[in-house]
Amino acid sequence: MRPDRARAIIMTSAAAMAAIGSTLYLASYFAGGLLALAALAIFGFLRRSELGAEGFAAASRSMLKAAAVPAIGIASALAIGAAVMLATGYDPVASYAALFYGGLVRNWHISVLNATPLIFTGLAISFGFKGGLFNIGAEGQYFVGVMAATWLGLKLNLPAPLGVPLVFVVGMLAGAAANLIPAALKVKTGAHEVVTTMMMAYAIRTLSPMFIRANGGDPASSAHPYATAQIGERLWLPLFKDVLPASNYRLHVGVLVAVAAAFAVRFVLDRTDLGFKIRAVGHNPIAARTQGISTARITFATLLISGALASMAGVTQVLGLDHRMFQNLNAGYGWNGISIALLARNDPIAIVFAALLWGVLDAGGQYMARTASTPNAIIEIVKSVILFLLLAEVVYSSSGAAIKRFLAGRKAARAASEGGRS
Amino acid sequence: MTTDPRAGPVLETRGITKTFGSVVANSDVSIRLERGEIVALLGENGAGKSTLMNVLFGLYRPSSGEILVRGEPVRFDSPRDAIKLGLGMVHQHFMLVPTLTVTQNIILGDEPSVLGHIRYRRARARVAELSARYGLEVDPDEKVENLPVGLQQRVEILKALYRDAAVLILDEPTAVLTPREVDELFATLRRLAEGGTSIIIITHKLEEVRSLSHRVYVLRKGKLSGERATLGTTASELARLMVGRDVVLSVDRPEPAPAPEPIFRMEAVSALGPRGLEALRGASLAVGPGEILGIAGVEGNGQRELCETITGLAKATAGTVRLGSDDVTGWSVARRMDAGIGYVPPDRRASGLVVQFSVEENLALGRSDRAPYSRARVLDRAATRASATGLMERYDIRASGPDARASTLSGGNQQKVILAREFSRNPKFLLVSQPTRGLDVGAIEYVYRRILELKESGVAVLLVSMELDEIFALSDRIAVLHGGRVVFESRADATNPAEVGEYMIRGAAAGPAARSEA
Amino acid sequence: MMETLAALFTPQLVEATVRLAAPVILAAMAAVVCERSGVTNIAMEGIMLVGAFFAALVAWYTGSPWLGLVGGAAAGALYSLFFAWAAISLHFNHVVAGAIMNILAFGLTRYLMMVAYGRQGTSNAVARTLHDYKTAIPVLSDIPFIGKAFFDQTPIVYLALLSVVAWAWIFKRTRLGLSIEASGEYPMALETMGRSVVKTRYTAVVLGGVMCGLAGAFLSIENSNSFTEGMTDGRGFIALAANIAGGWRPVGVFLASLFFGFVDALQLRAQGLGVIDLPSELFLVFPYVATIAAVAGLVKRSRPPAAVGKDFSVEGGGD
Repeated sequence: MRPDRARAIIMTSAAAMAAIGSTLYLASYFAGGLLALAALAIFGFLRRSELGAEGFAAASRSMLKAAAVPAIGIASALAIGAAVMLATGYDPVASYAALFYGGLVRNWHISVLNATPLIFTGLAISFGFKGGLFNIGAEGQYFVGVMAATWLGLKLNLPAPLGVPLVFVVGMLAGAAANLIPAALKVKTGAHEVVTTMMMAYAIRTLSPMFIRANGGDPASSAHPYATAQIGERLWLPLFKDVLPASNYRLHVGVLVAVAAAFAVRFVLDRTDLGFKIRAVGHNPIAARTQGISTARITFATLLISGALASMAGVTQVLGLDHRMFQNLNAGYGWNGISIALLARNDPIAIVFAALLWGVLDAGGQYMARTASTPNAIIEIVKSVILFLLLAEVVYSSSGAAIKRFLAGRKAARAASEGGRS
Repeated sequence: MTTDPRAGPVLETRGITKTFGSVVANSDVSIRLERGEIVALLGENGAGKSTLMNVLFGLYRPSSGEILVRGEPVRFDSPRDAIKLGLGMVHQHFMLVPTLTVTQNIILGDEPSVLGHIRYRRARARVAELSARYGLEVDPDEKVENLPVGLQQRVEILKALYRDAAVLILDEPTAVLTPREVDELFATLRRLAEGGTSIIIITHKLEEVRSLSHRVYVLRKGKLSGERATLGTTASELARLMVGRDVVLSVDRPEPAPAPEPIFRMEAVSALGPRGLEALRGASLAVGPGEILGIAGVEGNGQRELCETITGLAKATAGTVRLGSDDVTGWSVARRMDAGIGYVPPDRRASGLVVQFSVEENLALGRSDRAPYSRARVLDRAATRASATGLMERYDIRASGPDARASTLSGGNQQKVILAREFSRNPKFLLVSQPTRGLDVGAIEYVYRRILELKESGVAVLLVSMELDEIFALSDRIAVLHGGRVVFESRADATNPAEVGEYMIRGAAAGPAARSEA
Repeated sequence: MMETLAALFTPQLVEATVRLAAPVILAAMAAVVCERSGVTNIAMEGIMLVGAFFAALVAWYTGSPWLGLVGGAAAGALYSLFFAWAAISLHFNHVVAGAIMNILAFGLTRYLMMVAYGRQGTSNAVARTLHDYKTAIPVLSDIPFIGKAFFDQTPIVYLALLSVVAWAWIFKRTRLGLSIEASGEYPMALETMGRSVVKTRYTAVVLGGVMCGLAGAFLSIENSNSFTEGMTDGRGFIALAANIAGGWRPVGVFLASLFFGFVDALQLRAQGLGVIDLPSELFLVFPYVATIAAVAGLVKRSRPPAAVGKDFSVEGGGD
């Protein structure tokens, strides 16, 4: 067999191992992690044979360095969180123990469930960022997705293989439509999308109880939060439990759809003509326009696609988990999506990991609040601090250099002035 | 010269070095300036002139070296310190707030006030008094954005005089002025020097050094390469000091062929400017194959609108634009590009390139939807790279590779990327605006050569430039744009810079008078 | 139908318009000041929220709504100092810094609710609110129709009206106003004339923070008697829209804010009267729709400060 054939086969099987391993891990089969690690080792080995020992060492060093920054940021944020807890009379050790046990082990499935919509909204917002737009109202498009899925779920009587894709398509169209007005205004009048998408989000949230009442919600009988009737069981997303009996009964395959969406977004942005144009407009609309790219059309497309991605979060949530619309106005998937996009610096694959981190912190935070009775709002603070520190990373490195220069300058000046005196 | 022999220099630098990261902008520069003296600081673009001036003005802190004012070592932490010691600066890009009035701009930072409340009446009186005393007339209540460039420069000078500047530093003050405005400015400066003000003028134009200064310092690559008394030197000696070799900045131009049917024609085109006023008023131009038509004019006389209506970036409110037999007036930018209109925009970084993109991505810009850059709307990276590698070689683009970020390239290489992209589209007609702004001599020569090559291959070229030298170096025919109108048109060999300059400043009114003077 | 309209448009409606406009006026003035200085401030939502929380906390703890007012303003100033540090000194993208500040404000107030009151949702009621100090100005308050609206009001409403006059004067006649204008239009011009752009922008953002803090205090201890999580309800963003619709000028922005107050008042009144039998949500959604309409319709009429949202550093502008 030719060596490159062998290599290709090894690569493919390693990729398959990685995919199966991480899927198993997501489904709470933690041994799957070993499989993923093994795949990683094979990748490393191949890379090493490619680069040679020295090149490989250099590459791993730079990778470690890149990984060190977020690690340090997260650790520092946790330390600040601990300081806040100490200052306000809570036990940080017990709280964090509960947080990580809850988020990573005990309620790992909740972490994954939390992460799923965040991947979509994070992708939505970062897609906008790539095109130079801030779709701050992804929360609104999330609710549109929820409503579309609930409405179809109540009306539609189709077998899952037809029905589920149809609900996704309609939901995405609805999410795109929710951004139609902001996109048109942006292109026609230059109205800033931060204001218009935000106001759309507030408007949609405000109107959503009407939808709930119209679809089986009864404010008189049901306690808060009140909800619509349940959608038909045929449209529910498959559960991991169907194949892997030991996983949690609520854990649905939406997370795999989300990961697939991340890869799709990456492909569109990096490898297609559309993505190229979106990035060009995002960096420099004037240059893009000068080169014949229609900035209006690209801006329009970017906002609509962003809306469609955000609504997928809502669709997944209804088909996979809630099976109805709750008046859950504090869900905040749209708002948290902003953090995810910023944290991952608009890298679609990094968004998956950032969303998992947020999911773990949320799930762990709830467990912590229950078992250690530390208010889980501390997690919100820790999250903001993580965000702040990781975004300031560019700043440390440049200010670090500036401090060095400053000190060097001072030393030189002192030497010069002493020299002058003598 | 009225230098008092007992007084030491007004301003002196000793061994100034300024680095930005690993870039050394100034290295061991020592200069001095006497009272009432006009000193020129000569150097190419990027020689470090502006950096030195920003150090003198407290905007940058020197990495080492010292500054002395009237013999005392001083330390400038901000422009405030420099201003306090009597230094005034007229920046190349005027430091004026367009939405504020002349008075407000002049007093900004040093307002006559009681408890923060500005005494505008007193301020206005002071400004009027200064204008009268120095013969720098300007309406104190006019908003700066409504003033022509020459008057804006007056406001800059008044700003310095308002602060009792003993030293006036002017950074490339003539770059945006017409020949007549330059004469007026120089007269003002001579008057000021006679009154005891010391002046440093930064320039890369030899003529200005010779007509104005007493002494000249030449900077090359951040270092002082010479100091001469103006009377004791020659232009060629200064040029050698400035560039480090002999330069002849004239290009061999082939004789213009008799113009056949024009490829490009615009007829009575009007367009609106940024404030909704008509900025282009019925301009008509025609360019034939193998011909370069140069558009001269002072900045802001409709050049931008001209370029935008030709490329389709802005709509014409009247008139037609034709390419060959097609009326392209209503066409989109992309369709015009496909039809054969090429465009080298005036500002490389703002509109020519996406500087965050790599060289190869910039080369694919505007044609990413077709082969070889993509197939079925999916980018073909290998083909893109191959094409970019070829273009980089053909156009001598120096970069670490096709994947180098455009922002890391020098200005000259950035411009080469743009030329490579536009020329490789095989345009029939090329619009070039300000192609050498901010480039060094080597890059300028390269750009000129490429444009002439393109012309020789039969392309029609429309060259828009604020630099008269450039217009005359390249054009077969010359037209002048003034107030949005084409006020003058002539074969290049039938006119001269003085005549064109007169039309640039006075428009059609220059008419016969310009002819007789010239 | 005429009766319905007559029932709607009463002096009470005008009074409610002015009252409900107060927080928007204050926050919109903050937006004017920040943006005219060159800083895009979308953190106002969060700054208001922090101001509202601390106003309620201090007023509850000390029993004095006046100390609450001071506490709200001080908290607003401090929190916006943090925003200024990120956006100006650390050179964060302004919008990103603002988004982070908003997220942090929600988390912080939720956490502090638990710490201070041991529960979520709504804080303990304060003993006295600033509404108890409603004062009529003699003579002026007797002007028919609008007298009561403008001259028989509560303290923070007066402060809001006063802030409009103050800022109009500051921009027209003072050194601070001139510096702020230059800092937002052409910062380098200010810097080269020896005045610090950084200091000017810090000043603008912190003064804006004081006004957002007051706007928050209005919500928690003047218009109600307690703090509720997320009680700002998008007013920071509405203020941003009012700033744009009003053309970045104090008086224009004041009128735009009054419009939002009017929409809010109309919504409450129409709902309260039950004159039209429609779901309440349709009224609640009014202000948001009005905001979109205002931004869409008015945005082109004026131009934003040239350097707004752009990072400034002296050596960054080097050659």
